[in-house]
Amino acid sequence: MIFGSVSAASEVVPAIGFGIATAAYIGLGSVGYTLQTGITGVINFAYGAILISAAFVAYAVNRVGGDLWQILVVGGATGAIVSYLVNKLVFRRFVRRGVSRFGMLIVTLWAGLILQNILLAIFGGNYLHITTPAGHLFRVLGTKLDTLQLTGITIAVVCVVGLAILLKFTRLGFAMRALATNPDLARASGVKVARVLDYTWLITGVICGLAGVLYSIAVGAFHQTSGNAVLIIMFTAAILGGVGRPLGAAIAALALSIAMQLVTLVIPADLNEIVAFVALILVLLLRPSGLFGVAREADVEVAVA
Amino acid sequence: MSGANLYATTLLVYFFIDVLAAWGLNLQYGLFGMYNFAFILFQSIGAYTAAVLTLGPPKHVFGTQDYFFGAQLPFPLPIVIAGGVAGVLGLIVALLLSRNLRSDYEAIVTFGLSIMALLIVTAVVPLFNGASGLAQVPEPLQGTLGLGAGAYSWVFVGFSGLICLASYGVLRRVQGSPFGRALRAVRESRDGAAALGVNATWCRIVVSVFGAVLAGVSGALLVEFITAWSPAAWTYVESLTIFSAIIVGGVGNDIGVLLGVFATEIVFAEGSTFLPTSLPPNLVGSLPWILIGIVTLAFLWARPQGIVPERRDCVRISKRRAAAVTWDVPTHGDFADLRDIVDGGVASGRG
Repeated sequence: MIFGSVSAASEVVPAIGFGIATAAYIGLGSVGYTLQTGITGVINFAYGAILISAAFVAYAVNRVGGDLWQILVVGGATGAIVSYLVNKLVFRRFVRRGVSRFGMLIVTLWAGLILQNILLAIFGGNYLHITTPAGHLFRVLGTKLDTLQLTGITIAVVCVVGLAILLKFTRLGFAMRALATNPDLARASGVKVARVLDYTWLITGVICGLAGVLYSIAVGAFHQTSGNAVLIIMFTAAILGGVGRPLGAAIAALALSIAMQLVTLVIPADLNEIVAFVALILVLLLRPSGLFGVAREADVEVAVA
Repeated sequence: MSGANLYATTLLVYFFIDVLAAWGLNLQYGLFGMYNFAFILFQSIGAYTAAVLTLGPPKHVFGTQDYFFGAQLPFPLPIVIAGGVAGVLGLIVALLLSRNLRSDYEAIVTFGLSIMALLIVTAVVPLFNGASGLAQVPEPLQGTLGLGAGAYSWVFVGFSGLICLASYGVLRRVQGSPFGRALRAVRESRDGAAALGVNATWCRIVVSVFGAVLAGVSGALLVEFITAWSPAAWTYVESLTIFSAIIVGGVGNDIGVLLGVFATEIVFAEGSTFLPTSLPPNLVGSLPWILIGIVTLAFLWARPQGIVPERRDCVRISKRRAAAVTWDVPTHGDFADLRDIVDGGVASGRG
């Protein structure tokens, strides 16, 4: 039996609650992704591998007794360092070389695959599990969430608000927004582009790492390749919300997460990512500038990798 | 049959099959500029089709193997039908991509399509036996030929080599034809080619279907040879590796692609079997991928045209004539190249 009957309304509310809990890491990761792509112009398909690298390092620290806050700090730092290095050593060089958009996609995909294989060589191919106490169950608006899930949601919200403040009220944030809107004009207006880009990779790397730790706690067991599916969901949220728009990505991520939990009432749970894939394919084919987007980016490209 | 003999025939069959698939993708990506990350899906549907058409109806004779349909067709039919089914899928993908997306978005759409198909086939077991996949697919003509395992393997090598050779002949003709030049014109500039009257949608359909048929046949040959097929055989990594083979060998050059396949799929992927056994087993498994990745990045960086660059034989005109031509052909950068490409086509017999 593939398709069960639609369940009663009593199952809908918990599904929404669980969707909000998963939206913590998906939303956080999507916000980081949309900023990274919007400001640097690189569609980074190594993001999932960087995210899972942070989860692996968090696992190692957890094994020697690290608690939730320690593994969050370590995971965030790992995400920042790996993102910074991958950009410094690989992406930036290819961007300056003028490699085509498709060429950059190949570059980031291989960078991610190389990272995954380094993790495989170090940690082996088994599924890993981070042990953190789930804490108490709380009733929130008709759904049950445990302390861990509520902590995850709080961390995500704090990070997104912090990012919004950074973007809105600091010089660095101003420079980042300028770079996202018009790189040439920003450069001509005296924005130190290289430095702002370095900071962008570091900051979005921290976000990516934190999302990785939250993800690893939420799913229970993870693997080198687990980041790929997460990346697709985050990329979809970033495109749906409009590249470079953190608020749009957060809303889209929330909607996607809830939709992915709701469909499990109708189809088997291991097929729920189909929602993200269908959304991805439809939005790229029909509205690549995002649901709230105005300007359409150029369709045509001249160079071949 | 000796171990070395078995190893040699296996490598040769893998090589021919990989080359066949890589030529299919080279036609789509190298010649036309279709950024198809669902390419492995074509090979996979070919393999599944050939498998269920050889296995016979699902009557659970092999234990728990479960699939939605089966038949027992005589030898060449499963392979032919596999190519046909893959071609239909190629048509669907071509129509899906007829909206002229940005190159990376086109790649990501097909990437999503490929992973989604993998997810469905893995989760819905009654389709093609889920994650375990299909196994014990009978080898074609194994009974009727009456050969030993060694001789039979060599027959299979010859058969796949012959298909490769025939495909190469067809591909050469296509690439040298006016249609081949139209494909390259679209690759260089979609707008420019459209202005010169090239119908890009039609080109995409032909290229997608033809490339998919090659991939489908390669998948069918592969499953008939290794007698098994499962989702582990067609992750996005497989598509990425074929792109790597093309980039390393030479985008748009079939001989180059052949060398690229040899470098990536044989030297690096199979070279790992010769690594010293003292190395940790996880490293042995991951090292080939790390190396293929680094080599691909190195080529993209230092020699994006690949080992053997694409032949630009369509604009080969004598220096004297070229000098005369420059009088009345305006040179507006890329567009002038485009004129050369399409004019070359007209001059050699279409007009």
